[in-house]
Amino acid sequence: MATQQRRISTRESKGITLLLIGIALGYLFLFLGLPLIAVFVEALSKGWDLYWQALVEPDALSAVRLTLLVAAIAVPANLVFGIAASWAIAKFEFKGKSLLITFIDLPFAVSPVVSGLIYVLLFGAQGWLGPWLQAHDIKLIFAVPGIVLATIFVTFPFIARELIPLMQAQGKEEEEAAVSLGATGWQTFWRVTLPNIKWGLLYGVILCNARAMGEFGAVSVVSGHIRGMTTTMPLHVEITYNEYNFVAAFAVASLLALLALVTLGIKSLVEWQAKRSGEPLHGAH
Amino acid sequence: MSSFKAHSVLPGFNLALGFTLLYLSLIVLIPLSALFVNTASLGFGGFWDVVTGDRVLASLKVTFLTSFAAAVANAFFGLVVAWVLVRYSFPGKRIIDALVDLPFALPTAVAGIVLATLYAPNGWLGQYFAELGIKIAYTPLGIVVALTFIGLPFVVRTVQPVLEDVEAEVEEAAASLGAGRWDVFRRVIFPAVAPALLTGFSLAFARAIGEYGSVIFIAGNMPYISEITPLLIIAKLEQYDYAGATAIALAMLLISFALLLAINGLQWWSSRRGAR
Amino acid sequence: MSISIQNLNKQFGTYKALDNINLEVNSGELLALLGPSGCGKTTLLRIIGGMELADFGKLLFNGEDVEQRDARERNVGFVFQHYALFRHMTVFENVAFGLRVKPKKERPNEAEIKRRVHELLSLVQLDWLHDRYPAQLSGGQRQRIALARALAVEPKILLLDEPFGALDAQVRKELRRWLRRLHDELHITSVFVTHDQEEALEVADRVVVMNKGVIEQVGTPDEVYAAPATSFVYQFIGNVNLFHSRDHAPWTSEHGDVVAYVRPHDIDISTTRQDETSLPVEVKLVRAIGSIVRVEVAADGSSEFIEIELSRERFDAAPLANGDRVFIRPRQFRVFEEASAA
Repeated sequence: MATQQRRISTRESKGITLLLIGIALGYLFLFLGLPLIAVFVEALSKGWDLYWQALVEPDALSAVRLTLLVAAIAVPANLVFGIAASWAIAKFEFKGKSLLITFIDLPFAVSPVVSGLIYVLLFGAQGWLGPWLQAHDIKLIFAVPGIVLATIFVTFPFIARELIPLMQAQGKEEEEAAVSLGATGWQTFWRVTLPNIKWGLLYGVILCNARAMGEFGAVSVVSGHIRGMTTTMPLHVEITYNEYNFVAAFAVASLLALLALVTLGIKSLVEWQAKRSGEPLHGAH
Repeated sequence: MSSFKAHSVLPGFNLALGFTLLYLSLIVLIPLSALFVNTASLGFGGFWDVVTGDRVLASLKVTFLTSFAAAVANAFFGLVVAWVLVRYSFPGKRIIDALVDLPFALPTAVAGIVLATLYAPNGWLGQYFAELGIKIAYTPLGIVVALTFIGLPFVVRTVQPVLEDVEAEVEEAAASLGAGRWDVFRRVIFPAVAPALLTGFSLAFARAIGEYGSVIFIAGNMPYISEITPLLIIAKLEQYDYAGATAIALAMLLISFALLLAINGLQWWSSRRGAR
Repeated sequence: MSISIQNLNKQFGTYKALDNINLEVNSGELLALLGPSGCGKTTLLRIIGGMELADFGKLLFNGEDVEQRDARERNVGFVFQHYALFRHMTVFENVAFGLRVKPKKERPNEAEIKRRVHELLSLVQLDWLHDRYPAQLSGGQRQRIALARALAVEPKILLLDEPFGALDAQVRKELRRWLRRLHDELHITSVFVTHDQEEALEVADRVVVMNKGVIEQVGTPDEVYAAPATSFVYQFIGNVNLFHSRDHAPWTSEHGDVVAYVRPHDIDISTTRQDETSLPVEVKLVRAIGSIVRVEVAADGSSEFIEIELSRERFDAAPLANGDRVFIRPRQFRVFEEASAA
């Protein structure tokens, strides 16, 4: 009897509990659930036929292709960078390390619009390298390379940030053991380091990919919005929405929403797997 | 051996650090320095004239006020959500927990158009507010809605682990000393999660200040009323006013850095407090 | 394989980790590096293994300079303090690792790898665990697997960093005996680091006592215990009573401020004054611990306790009780200058 009372005294009353759950769920439904449902409802509001047509029209398809291309370049580039940076930072002691970590975090502190702007300042017609690029007939801004660069910038820290704390927590004893057993650098990396960070790596890649495919502000500044040429999926959504072509806008938006749901699904799966295998993840930022 | 780096048997340091520095310089440092160099050509007087222009100041005011309001809303509701997710169990909790990260994963443009549609005067939700005479979309209130969506996960995700770590024993001790439930929350639990709450609040606030994609669709973008600073940068750019755009961007960047510094200081402070 | 260390120095910033170390390790011997934490023993071990580089000095294996040789080319087996087992590999794969990463020409075939790994696992008596993961093993089992893994590449030298440090007392004792037997079987030149004097004295052929980056003494376990070379060794190994010359002049010598070091079992107790070296004391505490009896006494007017150990037979022949007034006299002691006393 006494213990039961003590338990009760560290719990809220039934009414408060229900009220809190009600507030939380209501809030989440209003801000997350409803928008998510609305995307699909709006996309299908004029029926499946129009939805399908909106997806297979040439401009939409080219936007999908460009988005895939951009992600296919940006994610591997940041993956290689993330591995190199975390290897140097987590496995070695050197001066200026914390400054380096701060620099890696920088892009998170920069507004997407500013992220795009800095590339315009560098490569745009009036930028530092503008005249030289024009003289050699190279177009970076208002073209695909600019979109790729801006995307790499905004997704720059994702994978490194995931791997650095993870590799720091794991220490370097296993790698030292591998080397003392005769393994070369590559053998050590592939056989010892990589298997130990695989979940963290996948986690970082998933989040990096979601942002790369969905980036809007930075890409918007450098893209020039040339239909069928330099519009990614988010830009296609913007253009069609501004033309009051809501079905087209929401159709492509629904693909991006699906991507977000798949991302969340894989993310949860990775978190669960990592927990099971005892590889602690750094977690969301 | 140089004193720059301690000896290690592991190979690949030069390659890894060399590549890291090269890539960091090319992608981040050199482009960002363009902002400083270009503004320098404007001179401090020119820079100051741009960033204290009426329209810029108005946009900064809109940006900061709406970001602050959204962060406050998220601090309150985020705490409730974190509490509910940690303390109670109900059907579908795992899915809802995963869904909290949706704003991280959903492209901002998608969030923007769907929120604008929902809260438009004839939209699903907007129509009910319209009956009450409240206009959400195309007003600063709409900006708050979009920024609340964008910042939603921050408070939940910073508070959640701290709340999980609050030991049941401490609460039981407080209760056994005669504290009521509200006293326990106010005097024991809340002080423990307060630093995390503040960190989450700052993260949501910082994110909101730079946000662009989700806002522009719902804001209405009326100069002096519902025009956010990032949009003003784009507007200047479209008028080929590169100097103006650069100056505003630099001001924003400096504000972001100051916030980042404050957040890091906050985290350092709270981790020290936690270690005590 | 013998190891020769000549004038080795290592500095971390302003902190001198190793100060002019000279040491010979004979082929086939089991050597302990013993000292308190921060004495430089682990640094020395890591330099031998190639994990760390000396600032200057020579390191020779069988007379051959190995300074420039990479850790992976030194043919040294290293057992890490926390084992450093590969957590994503089974026990079998952990032990097989060193064989699998050999260059193609030297790499044994799969059947040979299998045979060798199972042989090693039987040697450490853990063959039945071959398909487990490190997380599923006890501390003692992990330690033995780490050893088997190090032995797989047939090292000429085996280095062990605090091999029993992370284990509980019972397992520790067992593993000590087991390591000694294993060494007697394999006769690989082995060096292990420990801060536990009992461990060093029980397992090693010779003990190197280190303090603050210098070697205080090198000798057999009996030598370092019975004939400590310095006051530090006296204090670090076994219990000792200190007598300052200004308090107990007759025990020490006549010149200057010196300290006499006396082991608790080197003190005689008698009820009568024997000669001028006898010191009148009062018995403060008597405690029987197994086969010995520990008596704590204090000189008149002194609050410092002197510890004496008696065998039980001796105690039973002349029992003591708290408050008894007796005389004590050292059978054997050594004198060090006050300044050098740690």
